Amino acid sequence: MITERVSYEQLLGISGCLALALLAHVTTLPFWVPAIVVACGLTRLRFARSGAAPSRRVLLIVAALVVPLLFLRFRTFNGLVAGTALLSVAAGLKLLETKTRRDIYIITLIIYFVSVAALLEGDSFWLLAYLIGVCWLTTATLLRVTSSGQAPDWRRSLRYGGRVLAQALPLALVFWLLFPRFAGPLWHIPNDSQAAASGLSDTMSPGDITQLALSDEVAFRVRFAAAAPPAAERYWRGPVLDHFDGHTWTRSSFGLGGAPPPQPLGVAYRYTVMMEPHQHRWIFMLDWPATWDLPHAALTNDYTLTQAEPLSRAVDVTGTSYTRIQSAQPLGKYARQRDLGQPQGRNPRTQRLAQELRSAHADDMELVGAVLSMFHEQAFFYTLTPPKLSDNSVDEFLFDTRRGFCGHYASAFAALMRAAGIPARVVTGYQGGTLNPYGDYWILRQSDAHAWTEIWIAGRGWMRVDPTAAIAPERVEHGLADTVNANEPSVSRWQSRTTWFTGARLRLDLLREIWRERILDFDQDSQRKLLEMLHVPEPDGQKLVVLLGVGMALVLGWLTWQVRRELAPQSKDIAARTYARLCSRLAAAGLPRRMYEGAEDYARRVAAQRPDLALAVTALCRHYSSLRYAAPSAQITLGQFQAAVRAFRPKHHRHD
Amino acid sequence: MSTLRQAAINKLRARVIRRHGRDSLPISINRRRIYILPTRFGIMLGAILAAMLIAGLNYNSNLALAFAFLMTSMALVTMHHCNRNLLRLSVDVTTEVDAFAGREAMFEFELRNASNVDRRDIEVRCLSAAGMGSVPAGESASIEVIGTVRQRGVTRVDQFELRTRYPFGWFYSWTYVQGPITIYVAPAPAGTRTLPSEGAKGTGTHSEARGDEDFSGLRAYEPGVPLKHMAWKVLARGGEAAVRSYSSLAAQPEWLEWSALDGLALEARLSQLCLWVLESDAAQRPYGLRIPGKEIAPSGGAAHRFACLRALAAFGIGESGETGSP
Repeated sequence: MITERVSYEQLLGISGCLALALLAHVTTLPFWVPAIVVACGLTRLRFARSGAAPSRRVLLIVAALVVPLLFLRFRTFNGLVAGTALLSVAAGLKLLETKTRRDIYIITLIIYFVSVAALLEGDSFWLLAYLIGVCWLTTATLLRVTSSGQAPDWRRSLRYGGRVLAQALPLALVFWLLFPRFAGPLWHIPNDSQAAASGLSDTMSPGDITQLALSDEVAFRVRFAAAAPPAAERYWRGPVLDHFDGHTWTRSSFGLGGAPPPQPLGVAYRYTVMMEPHQHRWIFMLDWPATWDLPHAALTNDYTLTQAEPLSRAVDVTGTSYTRIQSAQPLGKYARQRDLGQPQGRNPRTQRLAQELRSAHADDMELVGAVLSMFHEQAFFYTLTPPKLSDNSVDEFLFDTRRGFCGHYASAFAALMRAAGIPARVVTGYQGGTLNPYGDYWILRQSDAHAWTEIWIAGRGWMRVDPTAAIAPERVEHGLADTVNANEPSVSRWQSRTTWFTGARLRLDLLREIWRERILDFDQDSQRKLLEMLHVPEPDGQKLVVLLGVGMALVLGWLTWQVRRELAPQSKDIAARTYARLCSRLAAAGLPRRMYEGAEDYARRVAAQRPDLALAVTALCRHYSSLRYAAPSAQITLGQFQAAVRAFRPKHHRHD
Repeated sequence: MSTLRQAAINKLRARVIRRHGRDSLPISINRRRIYILPTRFGIMLGAILAAMLIAGLNYNSNLALAFAFLMTSMALVTMHHCNRNLLRLSVDVTTEVDAFAGREAMFEFELRNASNVDRRDIEVRCLSAAGMGSVPAGESASIEVIGTVRQRGVTRVDQFELRTRYPFGWFYSWTYVQGPITIYVAPAPAGTRTLPSEGAKGTGTHSEARGDEDFSGLRAYEPGVPLKHMAWKVLARGGEAAVRSYSSLAAQPEWLEWSALDGLALEARLSQLCLWVLESDAAQRPYGLRIPGKEIAPSGGAAHRFACLRALAAFGIGESGETGSP
């Protein structure tokens, strides 16, 4: 009869699968959640050694301790991470109380669901492959648990599970391609992701961007519809910082809308930004953005595209930008006050310098030119390792250290402008980028992070001034790697010098990009294109469902055939099979065996009809008879017989 | 809920009987008679799959959807595998089973698997009892089902069921086979009366009747004779099948008489007669059975014993069909 109690081995198998599934969550869950589950598993296994099970009281105590702890940590069970944590702990507790097969069934279901939860957060190919592996292992374990009596061994279980998985693939593909996708979420779920924000932040102290410059992590990728703008115009706009305390630039307002519409000059660039999730709300658009197709996103009044939620998933935004704009409208009173604001009593030397410059140059543009040529002509250095600066950072930088990175120059320049009475602000973002020639798109890495300034010129509007271009024009033209000195710490220098490495890296990036574009971003629009490719007229959701039905019917039909085909009896008798082959060869030569003929009779008849074959056929048939009916000490082995039949190729008789 | 399910199953079983009628055994199970439903575990899996799907759609996560679709497809493949586990399995069963009331009745099912695929975890259900077994590819296996019948009589089981939850326990597929099995349920052997001959022993009429040693010649073979009494040497020499005859067998037979048990209730009488049959059989002495409406001439051996027990089982009642519970 069925033994319902679980064995040590079954427990070990299912605990292992659970641990492997939780491994996919190890970066997002608080460390103690997997620790509790592992502890539960080990405890249960220890009990199982002696054939016992822990008492219910232990279980209740653990549950009463852990569940409030979870709630304290997350304040909700509704979010993805909190839900996963709760589910994991539930699996651990279930493991602790596992006595019968039914308990193991529940755990397998939790394993499957936890795997999906991991895929809701992560998006790499390897994660998917890993979790399919976990699913495979779990299913094989399940086969061993459900089987009554002698369970099939591990190798056979894995092979069987693998076969089921392989047979499921075509159907899964049909589902995946044709199951209708929706445009938006069905309902909102709070984002409780533990992923740390990456990339630029909305404050800038001297030295901040220097850290980013050391990372070659991809921030986003861009594909231009037509030609890309020249390097000197590829500024990707991020948070705009308009409040300065003498050391740190911050962002004073988050006002959406209300920005005076800039009047575009020159050509519009159409492109798609493929953002990596960075847990901030802004999207990097080419300076200055005009249109975008992201719902729930709008331009702030300083022209940064911002969405309502932090970006926790990769997203594509297609939009247009103009690299030059003009605005004849005056700057609002409040904005003007804000963009001239200076901290009291800080950076006094800068104040004096600004006043000197102001009295020398009445025209704003002339003053800008004077400051830029000061940067260019005096002993200012562009370096990744600038000295540390204190509260009067601009004074120290302009008059003492004179060594800095883009942030230092932008900060000092904006402070100087403000002191001279020109509204100015710091813009952070990315500049330049690397073209991936294999995929014809641009890669913007963290090392492309940049800071520049914008000043307000009456009658012209906001105007971009990049002081870094004055001190290190090659930074803007060629990127960081070619700019910094050889003895500076930079990640990508030796890499960019090694051609094969760069090539391999760009190819890998292309693969990642294809994965993203084809798999991660497969949506309604892609499905419509698929239908168009299949020549479905006027593709819509209804036709998609019909096609899904047709596809499913086809694949299920194939599956039925495939599964039943394995049922067809096939003789295990090699001698008989080989003899059958001999007969079919002779039949092809016009000498079919009659139903009632034994091997010897057949051979006699063939010999009579075709004397040319007589010798061979008589010998083969005699071999067959001796293999089938005589003692194993026959004069020919099975292998020899097989080889002889394989070599036997009777020709059709020529009537001549 | 469960009564509803039971009602549905009863309806299905009645329909199966109407549709297929009696099956001639052995029968090869074809796809038209295999039914399949998710188990409770399977329903839970379905709920989890739905949750996966909704989560994937809600988060717009193509990878989660891919995983959910893969799992769903695996479930559908599993459905085919579960169905296949019974498909083209050849089933046979001994159509006549002897048992004693209130004791175990053993049904032996012979499953043949001519295919290339192992059939694992096949459950045979018959008479509210179940047996489990596997049939490797290209082999046969017999599965024993041990059930109990309380009532003396001749019971017919019209239908038995083959069922499997292989491979993952998400689905169970089953089939009904209308191979009637007749169960001869002899009365439970019981009673306190001694054999009639034991009672008459004191008179010493045939004291030498015991023992098999007194060989008294050969007689023609007839079915039901104990194998050890066969004259093998004669058969080996090419002669006719013959049985060695012993003086004890030739001796005066024991008559087990209904009329000797006056004063007992009907079932008690039958139980006593049943006990006597078994005792006489164990003592290897010829015995005959005489009950109202039936007389079985004295003889010995298993076939004779079964004939007597079946006569006792059938006494006073016709055959009754039991269709309610495989």
